[in-house]
Order: sequence, then C-alpha cells, then structure tokens
Amino acid sequence: MTPNISELIAALPESGDESKATEAAALPAALAKTSLRPIPIGRLSRLTTLGTLQAKIGAAYLFHWLRGWFRNAEANERNLAETHWQTALRLLDSMSYLRGAVMKAGQTLANFPDIAPQQFVDTLQQLHAEAPPMHWSLLSEMVRNELGDDPENVFAEFDKQAFAAASLGQVHRARLKTGEEVAVKIQYPGIARAIQSDFRNFFLFLLPSKLNRDWEYLKDQFNDLRQRLEQETDYELEAANLAKARALFRDADGIAIPRVFPQYSTARVLTMELLDGLHITPFMERGPTQEERNEVARKMMRAWYRMMYSGRMFYADFHPGNFLVLDDGRLGVVDFGFIMMLDDDEWERYRRFDRAQTTGRPEDRVAVVKEWSEIGDNETDRLRVLDEYAQWCWLSRYDGGDFDFGDEADFRLGVDLFMEMIRKRYTRSRPNTPTISRCQFGWRSVFYQLKAKFDIRSIAEEEIKATDWDRSDYA
Amino acid sequence: MRITAEKKAATRERILDVATELFRSNGYDATTTRDIAVAAEIATGTLFNYFSTKEAIVGALADAAVVRARVEQANIAAESLEEALFAMIVAELRQFKPHRKFIAPLLETWLCPIAESVDSNGGNLSRVEHLEMVDSLAREHGLGELAPVALQLYWTLYTGVLAFWAADKSPKQEDTLALLDESMAMFAGWLRSEQSESK
Ligand SMILES: Nc1ncnc2c1ncn2[C@@H]1O[C@H](COP(=O)(O)OP(=O)(O)OP(=O)(O)O)[C@@H](O)[C@H]1O
Repeated sequence: MTPNISELIAALPESGDESKATEAAALPAALAKTSLRPIPIGRLSRLTTLGTLQAKIGAAYLFHWLRGWFRNAEANERNLAETHWQTALRLLDSMSYLRGAVMKAGQTLANFPDIAPQQFVDTLQQLHAEAPPMHWSLLSEMVRNELGDDPENVFAEFDKQAFAAASLGQVHRARLKTGEEVAVKIQYPGIARAIQSDFRNFFLFLLPSKLNRDWEYLKDQFNDLRQRLEQETDYELEAANLAKARALFRDADGIAIPRVFPQYSTARVLTMELLDGLHITPFMERGPTQEERNEVARKMMRAWYRMMYSGRMFYADFHPGNFLVLDDGRLGVVDFGFIMMLDDDEWERYRRFDRAQTTGRPEDRVAVVKEWSEIGDNETDRLRVLDEYAQWCWLSRYDGGDFDFGDEADFRLGVDLFMEMIRKRYTRSRPNTPTISRCQFGWRSVFYQLKAKFDIRSIAEEEIKATDWDRSDYA
Repeated sequence: MRITAEKKAATRERILDVATELFRSNGYDATTTRDIAVAAEIATGTLFNYFSTKEAIVGALADAAVVRARVEQANIAAESLEEALFAMIVAELRQFKPHRKFIAPLLETWLCPIAESVDSNGGNLSRVEHLEMVDSLAREHGLGELAPVALQLYWTLYTGVLAFWAADKSPKQEDTLALLDESMAMFAGWLRSEQSESK
C-alpha cells in the first residue's frame, strides 16, 4: 500500500496523538515480556475476539514506526534501529493476516530502490517468502468446504506444493478432469472477515479528536483504501472482474487474461486458466533486447488503456508480480482483485483528464488539477507542486514519441515531487487519489525496471478511437 | 428370554439413532430421556440400562464419531505435528458435525479435564484415547513423550477449539479452521521451544 499509506501516515496530525506515541514507545518493553511467555496468547485471541486491543496497538505501532521513518527519511536512514525491526516483525508475526498488506508495501517499496533502505525491502521480501503456507490438511479441508469434495476428487490432478504465494493465501497448479491446466488460488480461512473487522476497529482507533480540513480528506482516502483492501479479499468479485476484462481482448492483441472456471470457484477459491510464463525479473535476467522489452511494455500499456477506455475498469494493482511474459510471446495479466469500476460521474472526470492529457496545454492541466484537489486561488505553492506532479505524470502521454522510461533522473523527479507533496501535507484531494497515485508509480516503476522506450500516446489514441469518443472540442 | 449381545447392540444403536434425530429436530434441551425411550420403543427403565443420563448418550455419540474419524484419519500422511493434529481434529469435527448444535452444553462436563465424574459410558474413554493419540503423534514427529503440562495445555486448546466451533457463526465455520490451525501451530511451536530449551 505504500507509498500511499506513507502519505497518509506522514500527514497524520501531529497534535492529539501523543498518547498513542507513548503507548507505542512502551510497547517494545511490553512485547519483550510477551515473547518470553511460552504461549503467545495474542495469536489465539485475535481469532476468537477479532479486533483485539493488541491488534490495534500493534497496527498503531507499526504505523507510528513507518511514519517516523518516512518523516525523517533523509536525516536518519542509518538509524533504522535493529530493535525496532525486531519489535515490528514480532508484532507482524502475531498478526499474520496483516502480512498481506505488508507484502504489498514491500512489493511497492521494492520498486523504489532509491528511497527505501535496503534493509526494509529485504526484510519485507523475506516476509513474503516466509508467509506461513497452509499445510495440505488445511488446504484440502478448505477445498472440501468450498468445492464439496477432496481436491483429489474435484480435480484430475492437484499439486500439493503451492507454486506462488498470494497475499491472503496461496496458488496451486492443478488439472481439471476436462484436461485444462489451472491455477487455483485459495484463501486462508476467515482472513477476509478478520481484515474487515480489524480495519474497522483500527480506523476508529486512529481517529484523532481534533479534525482539521485536510484530515477529513485523509479519512476519506483511508476509507477508500480500506474498502479496496476488502474488495481484494472477495474472489467472487475478482472472478467477475476477470471475466469482464477478458471479454475486452482479442487474439490479435497478444494479451492473455486467464479464463475463470466458475464451477470450481467460490468467494475463497478462484480457479482459473494457468498462464505459463516468466515474471518481469526473470525475464530481465534472460537479457532481452530493447525491442523485446519495449514490446512487453507496450502490451502492458495497451492492456491498461483497453480496460480503462473500453471497459471503464481502472486496473490499480500495477506491479511486476501481476504480469507474465508467456512462452508464446503473449503478455499475461493476473490479479484482478483491485479494480476500480468507474461510474458515470467518475468517468466524466476522466474525460476531463483526457483533455489535459491530450492537449498538454498548461491551462487545461491546471484546471483539472484545481478541480481534483480543490485548490483555492490563493494556494499558489500547493498548485505549483501538484501541477508539477501532474506534468510529470502526463508528459510521456501528451508529448508522444519514444519516451525513455528507464531515465533515472526523470523517475527520481516524480518520486521527489511525490515526497514533497507528502512532506507538505498536500493531501487534500479525492478519496481515490492514493489508489491512483499508487497505480501511477506502479506502472512507471515497472517500465523503469524494463528500461522501456516507447510511445504511449499512440497506444492511448488507438484505444480511445476504438471507443468513438467525440473529442472535436479539444482543438 | 435371554437377550443376546447382538440384540443388545442393536438396541443401543437404535437409541443413539433416535436420540440424534430428536436432538436435531427438537433441540437437546427439549428432548427428555422419556422421549428417547418412546421413540426407540423401549421402556424408560430399559433405556437406563443402556445409558444412565442424556449426557451419556451424547458421550456415546461422540465416541462413535471419534472411531469413524480415526478410520478416516488413518490415511493422512502429515508432514508436521501441527498438521497431524490438525488432520486428526478436523476429521473429528467432520464426524461431530451432525451433533454440532447440541454438543456445546456437554463440553464442560464431558471434556473438562478436572471433571470428577465422567460417565464411563462415554467421554472419558474418548479423552484418554485422544490424548494417547496426541502423545503417539508427538513421538512420531520426534517431540518425545508429552509431559503432563503439555497434555494439559493441549487439552485446553482442544476443548477451546471445540467450544468455539460449537458456537461458530462464520460461513462454513471457517473461523474454526483458522483457530485450529493457529492453535496447533502454537502448541507444536511451544513443544519445540521447550525441547530446545531443555537441551
Ligand atoms: N492464472 C494464473 N496463472 C499463472 N500464475 C498465476 C495465475 N494467477 C496467479 N498466479 C501467480 O500467483 C501469484 C499471486 O496471485 P495474485 O496476484 O492473483 O494473488 P494476490 O493475492 O492478488 O497477490 P498480490 O496482491 O500480492 O499480487 C501471481 O503473482 C502469479 O505468480
């Protein structure tokens, strides 16, 4: 979720939360004691009474700690004290379901090698690898509960070893009786409801007494994130998203979105066509040519714009783990748990965006930025920073031509602008802004990793033309 | 006329069957031993020859469920103690399932480790047998013979899971699965840490 959560964290009001800070400071000591106790009661009680105080304090501590790091990022990068780490990790360990959220933070941060200290990234990635797998007995019980029979009977073949970790569960290879190779994503029992309940409590806990105007916005944004995280736990919704997205593509696009097998899918189990291919990191390790890399990036962009313009689906979870370069050269897109469906209102707003993105005229851009972030006429610095950020986001789009996404200086500029916004607490804006900027950084960092150089404007134009918009008033 | 052992067993089966039926349709509390006797077409006095209390009937039902569970469990190859324990209990729960609603009021007397008078018709047997299973699984997975405190801890967790399960309102009782998984992981983890400390 970071950097967007970090954005929220950094902007948390300073006053009024001293008590929480003290509580957090006292925690390591309290925790050290707990860890000596033979029975980690917390692990047990969190499931019996969801939303326990421990979970709340734990989350508050985690956030406090994250905030502290981000606020002083430049000054004390080296001061990421060991003890803090251990404390935070132990806490996370006792809240294993939060790992999902943390893994996301890790994935996003791993895309910013320059701003996240290596220790942070490494440990989070380790967490990813160490997320406790479901053993076979638990897994088959889940399959039995959800699909009515043992995995051995439901499927022709079922690989007992998971081949990938999902944020809330794990993914197994299997073969249907009708012969199709499938990926079966299975969720840890009860975790969806645990997250919902804990987030609700956590949210209440975070509410400070004094609310200023920006904090109100922040609250809405946090709420928006919470809702999206909740959506991600619903595999039925993901299945519906997958089906909707899949219908938007044709063979000639070279883009593969896995087919869902509804008779083997529930809210907790998602059975889909298996896509065989390489993730971006191993793909890069094979030393692909510039053109091969560009082609992968073009397909990613095309997939994204197609969903956006033809499907009105905002694919928000743009990170390297969600793309596969298939053996036959197609691009596979997985993970449809984090999609914003744009309603008519939202869609109108995007049309106004499009005008600014297409013309590149400063006045068009300023108008959109002012509307989006409700900037008053006297807020010159706010407008300047946000406009510069918007310019950074959209330059590659309205300039057209081959844009070098591997240019480190340009990438850093975006990160710096974003950090400036956070530092200055310019967080007033629409609730889904964190989701959108997360996505923006998501695709920029994937293209950065690919060192791709290509023209996104022509792809956008093709995709928009296919929808028959009337844009005659842009000139 | 002599009552053959075979006939006796058949009557016992019949009592258990009608009791299950009555508990399920009328609820455990609303069902009396008289109701059971009537439905089984025997005299109430005869019923007491088989089971001295209503609790004893449930105990016997549970024992029978455990026996079926053990058969099912026999062909599971677990990779760790926590998985073995999980598999054992989950197999039990599956067998207990028809009785879930009325097993709760009994848990206290039937399963409480300090209960003095557990009816010999049921329950006690299950507990001893259950703990022996746990002990042998622990040895199988290299965690030695279990000390009394370990057994006590285990039993607390186990009964906690059962109690939770009896009242679990989550869809398909999925919370129980999570609780069971975490509890067994905790127990096995604790055993391992005890073991490494004593070395
Ligand atoms: N249909 C599929 N074919 C091949 N691999 C798949 C498929 N679906 C998922 N995977 C693999 O499983 C991993 C996790 O799946 P997915 O991203 O859907 O889970 P998630 O819970 O949304 O995780 P996260 O949000 O952390 O990405 C993917 O990164 C991918 O490697």
